[in-house]
Amino acid sequence: MRHLRGHERVSGLEQLTGYLFVLPTFLILGVFVLFAAVYSLWISLMHYDPFFHTVYPVGLSNYKYVASSQLYWFSMLHALEYTGVVVTIQTFLAFFFAVLFNEKTPVSRFTRAIVFIPAVTSSAVISVLFIWVFSAQGLLNAFLVHLGVHPENWLESTTWAFPAIMGLNIFTTAPYFMIMYLAGLQSIPSSILESAELDGVRNAFQRFRYFYFPMLKFTVFFVVVLGIIGSMQLFDQVFIMTDGGPGNSTYVPLIYIYNQAFVFDNFGAAAAASFILFVIILILTLAQRRLISEVRWA
Amino acid sequence: MSRISPRRVALLALTVSVQLILALIYIIPFYWMVIKSFRFTIFANFPPNLLPTLQTVGNYVYVWHFSAFPHWYLNSTLIALSVTAASVFIGSLSGYAFARLRFRGRDILFYTVLATLMIPFPVVIIAEYILMVNLGWVNTYQAVIVPSTASAVNVFLMRQYFTTIPQEVEDAAKIDGLRPHQIFFRVAAPLAKPAYAASAIYTFIGAWNSFLWPLLVLHSVKMFTLPLAINFFKGANGSQIYWNQMTAAEVLTMIPTIVIYVVFEKYFVKGIALSGSKG
Repeated sequence: MRHLRGHERVSGLEQLTGYLFVLPTFLILGVFVLFAAVYSLWISLMHYDPFFHTVYPVGLSNYKYVASSQLYWFSMLHALEYTGVVVTIQTFLAFFFAVLFNEKTPVSRFTRAIVFIPAVTSSAVISVLFIWVFSAQGLLNAFLVHLGVHPENWLESTTWAFPAIMGLNIFTTAPYFMIMYLAGLQSIPSSILESAELDGVRNAFQRFRYFYFPMLKFTVFFVVVLGIIGSMQLFDQVFIMTDGGPGNSTYVPLIYIYNQAFVFDNFGAAAAASFILFVIILILTLAQRRLISEVRWA
Repeated sequence: MSRISPRRVALLALTVSVQLILALIYIIPFYWMVIKSFRFTIFANFPPNLLPTLQTVGNYVYVWHFSAFPHWYLNSTLIALSVTAASVFIGSLSGYAFARLRFRGRDILFYTVLATLMIPFPVVIIAEYILMVNLGWVNTYQAVIVPSTASAVNVFLMRQYFTTIPQEVEDAAKIDGLRPHQIFFRVAAPLAKPAYAASAIYTFIGAWNSFLWPLLVLHSVKMFTLPLAINFFKGANGSQIYWNQMTAAEVLTMIPTIVIYVVFEKYFVKGIALSGSKG
């Protein structure tokens, strides 16, 4: 933060303007994030039925209910598995895309624009489009038959539905995170790259290890953290493509929360489930921060 | 190093071919969607015919005239524009205050704004939904618009940009007798156009594509936004999906964000660079 300059007296008018300028942000974030979070915590300790206006405290029984729900932990394991696979692959793939497309040639600009299309497209459109891609008569099978793979209805298979959704999300988020790396790459002065080349850092691995990674460490950190937060909150694609099925094989925490609240009217349990999810996301992102700061000292 | 070595040429050829292959992989599903939207056949045939054919524009006519599509388009446009206008304006006011104005508690307030980023959306949806029920806002535009009118990301992005504008420019305005809010509106804001553009683009696309929150609070078909309509189309005919009409609806939904992307491409990287620099 910039220090106050000199001993110049801050006018009352400037103070007042400052407060007025930040007021709208605090009203909205105060109500819809800070208050809502506390309110959620309160709801998680209640039996809450907003339609019949029956509200009474039930202690920790919502938490007990959720914690003893096999389906909830099943969905949580799914989310962790999904996060592990998707974040790992997309973090590397996005980096590869960024290095590949970080040139100013017309071909590079044109192809980069095409690859970026899924990142600006509605998740609903993508999901419905890929229901077809993964269908028995879809694009994926049309391609795979040439490799001798037996056609499959991917989204109706308990084995393949979840990997299919993972694949779809890597496909759409890799270009999104590519942009973050590109921003990072473009902030590196080109003189540093040239001097690295003169120093004989020529092969790709060395270049990554000694040059890109140290320069882009914080971008990598952001990509991983945003990836974890996004993956743990997976909803749109599952809801539209499989709704948790077949046989709960794509069930994830947000589907559980959604169903508890909006299918079973069990708002207290939904709030409790969302708090448990919050704690797990928090632990994962903090662990990440620890990891990255250790890398810095290494 | 102006000498072109064979190694360089080989590397360039490799780069270009990988770029082209990736672009091909990424374009095919969308290409297929577009050609399908101009065809008659309801049932998919295998293997899919990927040759471009223009059989009919009937799918577009159907979607536009025989569903609530124009209404959904209007809903999406209204919501996305309102959210963008409010969130960017409010974000720039607060971003400027945090960057330039001096008032007691400024740093604590700024860190509070940043701390809200740590709270993931699922934690607040239940409470926010019940809040909407109690306010009587379920199934209204304001239920979707109002909670999104302030964004910590936009505040942060604008603040980062305002700190890069030389202080001297504003000092000169101060000497000319301008009041703090006049300095903002007449001097600082016009200098921050790239930041406005970047945050407007990201906010608009996010609002246009948003799915979960509208799904929770917009219940009647007439109030749907386009992503909800797409999901609705999918379920409307039982298990049989009318792919051709569906694809026409998808193409129409994608057009605005694609146009924005093509027109404002340079701001996409810039927007991230702005929010990432100078932590």
